[in-house]
Amino acid sequence: MLRIMWVLWPSFVVAGIAEGIFFTVIDPQELYLFGEAVHLSKIATYSIGFLGFWAVCAASSMMTCFLQRSAAEVNKGVGVHLPPADNANG
Amino acid sequence: MASETPSRTQESRPSFVEESLYEVHKKVHPRAVSGIFATWRWALVWFTQLVYYGLCWLPWNGRQAVLFDLVERKFYIFGLVFWPQDVIFLAILLIISAYSLFLFTAVGGRLWCGYACPQTVYTEIFTWIEQKIEGERNARIKLDAAPMSGRKLWLRTAKYASWALLAFWTGFTFVGYFTPIKTVWESLWSLSLGPWETFWMIFYGAFTYLFAGHMREQVCKHMCPYARFQGVMFDPDTLTITYDTERGEPRGARKKGVDPKVIAKGDCVDCGICVQVCPTGIDIRDGLQYECIGCAACIDACDQVMEKMAYPKGLIRYSTEHAIESHWGWKEIIGHVIRPRVIIYSTILGAICLAFVWGIATKANLRVDVIRDRATLAREVEGGLIENVYRLHVINVSEAPHRYAVSVSGLPGIDMVGDRIIEVPAAGARSFSVQVRVPPESGKKGSNQIFFDVKSLADEKVAVHEKASFLQP
Repeated sequence: MLRIMWVLWPSFVVAGIAEGIFFTVIDPQELYLFGEAVHLSKIATYSIGFLGFWAVCAASSMMTCFLQRSAAEVNKGVGVHLPPADNANG
Repeated sequence: MASETPSRTQESRPSFVEESLYEVHKKVHPRAVSGIFATWRWALVWFTQLVYYGLCWLPWNGRQAVLFDLVERKFYIFGLVFWPQDVIFLAILLIISAYSLFLFTAVGGRLWCGYACPQTVYTEIFTWIEQKIEGERNARIKLDAAPMSGRKLWLRTAKYASWALLAFWTGFTFVGYFTPIKTVWESLWSLSLGPWETFWMIFYGAFTYLFAGHMREQVCKHMCPYARFQGVMFDPDTLTITYDTERGEPRGARKKGVDPKVIAKGDCVDCGICVQVCPTGIDIRDGLQYECIGCAACIDACDQVMEKMAYPKGLIRYSTEHAIESHWGWKEIIGHVIRPRVIIYSTILGAICLAFVWGIATKANLRVDVIRDRATLAREVEGGLIENVYRLHVINVSEAPHRYAVSVSGLPGIDMVGDRIIEVPAAGARSFSVQVRVPPESGKKGSNQIFFDVKSLADEKVAVHEKASFLQP
């Protein structure tokens, strides 16, 4: 649960900031998708933009979480016999 | 009170299990508290929520007073209209908020967390609902432990439904700041709400429900960045919720009215009420902890106990590290408020606030962008005159429609073809095509500087003098 929170929450906050800056500078009507002007309503563009930012940021957080695993956690169950893993970070 | 002593050990420090997997932690059932600081918190709950739920319904000049119109890309705040070009004001506002937070934290500790943070405010409201439906702390703990029954099912349904209703209204209000709330209200009843409005309403409502109903102190402990870095703004003269260890220890149960000196104990009767009222479930007697949101519930609770015991109040109180060490009173504490850190924060804050007010007061009501027509750089027209074509993008930032006079200057014999009087609607923008003509002998070959003047007919002060370049072949 804590890991899910670590992935979803910071990415949500950063996505909010990115959304604000991006759409202040760029009008959704100036955007092109595969060479064609975006036909979606502005609210839809903003919303999809936010969800997109969130997804990208979450992917980054997820990778950080993944790489943070200790050696003991990675080795668990692959035949290396170590003392019980220090699982303090979940 | 003494009978509740054993419960303290279970509730004092967060356990290892809680650190690793937050959902298996022992649920915190804060005991309701009354007192001066609880009253302050409720006053702020009322104030912030009246503003939040109410402001979006306030009309102003035939529109919503506060509306962040994303579709039109304009923010309306009472008489002011902000365009994307005004983003600097938003940036300054954020800096002001940050510095206010720094200043308040340096002086008074986590005042924001304890009284005004939405997480605190909504948790307070949701806990109040819970308490009205399920009863006080002990009744809630009993209900949690009890097997499912008709009564439990009914109480739970009533609680969750009330929470959901409030959360829905919160989500609805949120959307009402971005799309005119009366439209949202009407389309809600005619079931014609747009898909994205519906999405954001449910999204915001669901998160309110989750954060204030279920996660509560976990948000402060595991999600809030401010909780982690507030420590850097603290110094030994910062007011924090402090347990007076010297006065309180050794703690221990005793009969009412017993003089602590007689039984060789401190003033703390070890009733554990300070722990029971704590919304984050910590024991303030262990010292300052990052989990402490500074809500002062333990102060209110302890003061009531001290009163019953006929001991002086303030065993737990707002105090500073220095004050506790040196046995200072309020006079000395206040005397130490003014210190380099506070002076620096206040000076910067004051300067930025002044810049903000000055910026708003002198915000231009008219903006003109001159764009050269790139298709034809220069051409010869009838009478041998040389013509350049421009587009004037005129933005009327004010709240009233305006008529403007357009003129051009900068070269001998310069003149223009096109509308000399233009009209732009309130808070609107329009583009006009202007052909500028000069005699061929006027100016030098190549680029020449010219000026466009756009002046409001109603108010001479509303004028823009904009540079452009005229190309002589």
